[in-house]
Amino acid sequence: MLAMSGVVKSFGANRVLRGVSLSVATGEAVVVIGPSGSGKTTLLRCINLLEDYEQGTVTVDGIPIGYRIDPHTGQRLRMSEREIAASREMIGIVFQSYNLFPHMTVLQNIVAAPIRVKGVPRAKAEARARDLLALVGLSDKAREFPVRLSGGQQQRVAIARALAMDPKLMLFDEVTSALDPELVGEVLAAMQQLARDGMTMVVVTHEMSFARDVADRIVFMEGGVIVEEGKPDQMFSAPRTERVRQFLKRYNDRYRI
Amino acid sequence: MKMFAPLLHSYWYLFRGAGMTLLMAGAAVVPATALGVVLALVHVFGRRPARSALQVYLFVVRGIPLLVLLTFVYYLLPLTGIDLPPFWGVVVVMSLYYAAFMSEVFRAGIESLPQAQWDAARSLGMTRHLMLRIVIFPQALRLAAPPFVSLCVSLVKATSLVSIVGLWELTMASREVVERTLAPFQIFLGAALIYFCICYTLAMYGRYLERRSLVGH
Repeated sequence: MLAMSGVVKSFGANRVLRGVSLSVATGEAVVVIGPSGSGKTTLLRCINLLEDYEQGTVTVDGIPIGYRIDPHTGQRLRMSEREIAASREMIGIVFQSYNLFPHMTVLQNIVAAPIRVKGVPRAKAEARARDLLALVGLSDKAREFPVRLSGGQQQRVAIARALAMDPKLMLFDEVTSALDPELVGEVLAAMQQLARDGMTMVVVTHEMSFARDVADRIVFMEGGVIVEEGKPDQMFSAPRTERVRQFLKRYNDRYRI
Repeated sequence: MKMFAPLLHSYWYLFRGAGMTLLMAGAAVVPATALGVVLALVHVFGRRPARSALQVYLFVVRGIPLLVLLTFVYYLLPLTGIDLPPFWGVVVVMSLYYAAFMSEVFRAGIESLPQAQWDAARSLGMTRHLMLRIVIFPQALRLAAPPFVSLCVSLVKATSLVSIVGLWELTMASREVVERTLAPFQIFLGAALIYFCICYTLAMYGRYLERRSLVGH
């Protein structure tokens, strides 16, 4: 349902993505791992066009995001801002630094987009928001401002906020990297539940245990390309490339499979 | 106490002058703020030609003292044939002058918001207009409120310059009374106290806004 094809992205002279193609099936949870600077976060941000890329296309459920290929000329055309904004509604993203709106309460954060972007009536949006808060275990925090919440709580609100738009695809960008270790568990649990419920997701993470337990497929990136991908069992116990074996060595040594 | 007799006799005249000061400042601050917001948006989102024009405008305003601009326009206006009462003439000049500084303050507020806020708003499918209205402006204006109030205080004090071109407000009123009573110390002390009260009140309001802006941060 997600199809990325030949995505090339440079920051100035630095070519961060060197032609990446990735497909994700509906309901599949794909975890992207790799060293820092490999382009994992950039890849994620290209999916919903938070980063503009020079070549390649991205489609979700057949709908192009950001760039479309003209059927007659084969030319790659940028879609209008309105079309791009509309297509972003299908994709939910959770960031490493939560990015909640500090001037709004938790509830307001969650209902802002459904009400203003989708036109959902306030009562319905608030009811759904409360359901989502219950899902992430934060029902009692609806009226709080984000500054009063812990990192893990803010992150769970961020997940609820993204889910409130009923996305078809959820993207997670190292969402636990900025959290105290003791708060990581609650966020991963929420994500695991989402995966079990059948949400299509692409997760960039350093949490190898999560990758092992939750991923349907693991993708290893380095230097702007996908080096290897496969099922978690295979990737962890018998990777085909030396680089992957090296990268996972530390994890494997510690948690002997 | 006898020393202050001139002031005690004339304070009401000075108060009327203060009223005119407030009227003038009030009339200038509204268009200055509105224009300031517009210019800030042009600076942040505008295309090259618009931004270049804006840079020229900012240079001129920041490079020429307000007094010189006021005097210049005061003598220029009759020559151009525009029939504008002097009061509105100085209000226009002061609005244009302060709009420049206010636009920089608003721009700083907008640009100091982390990119993350834009990312989050964008990824929720918000259009730029909606993003600005519910995510960016509420935060940017809260950040800009304290320096904005400082500019308003500065504007109030700047109205005293119009006395040089003969317009009547508190400073002019003070000068008239001094000419009559030959008691400059007492009269200008009175004027200073009045200015201080106005500006201090504004500054206190600015501090209140600053404290309020910390909600949620």
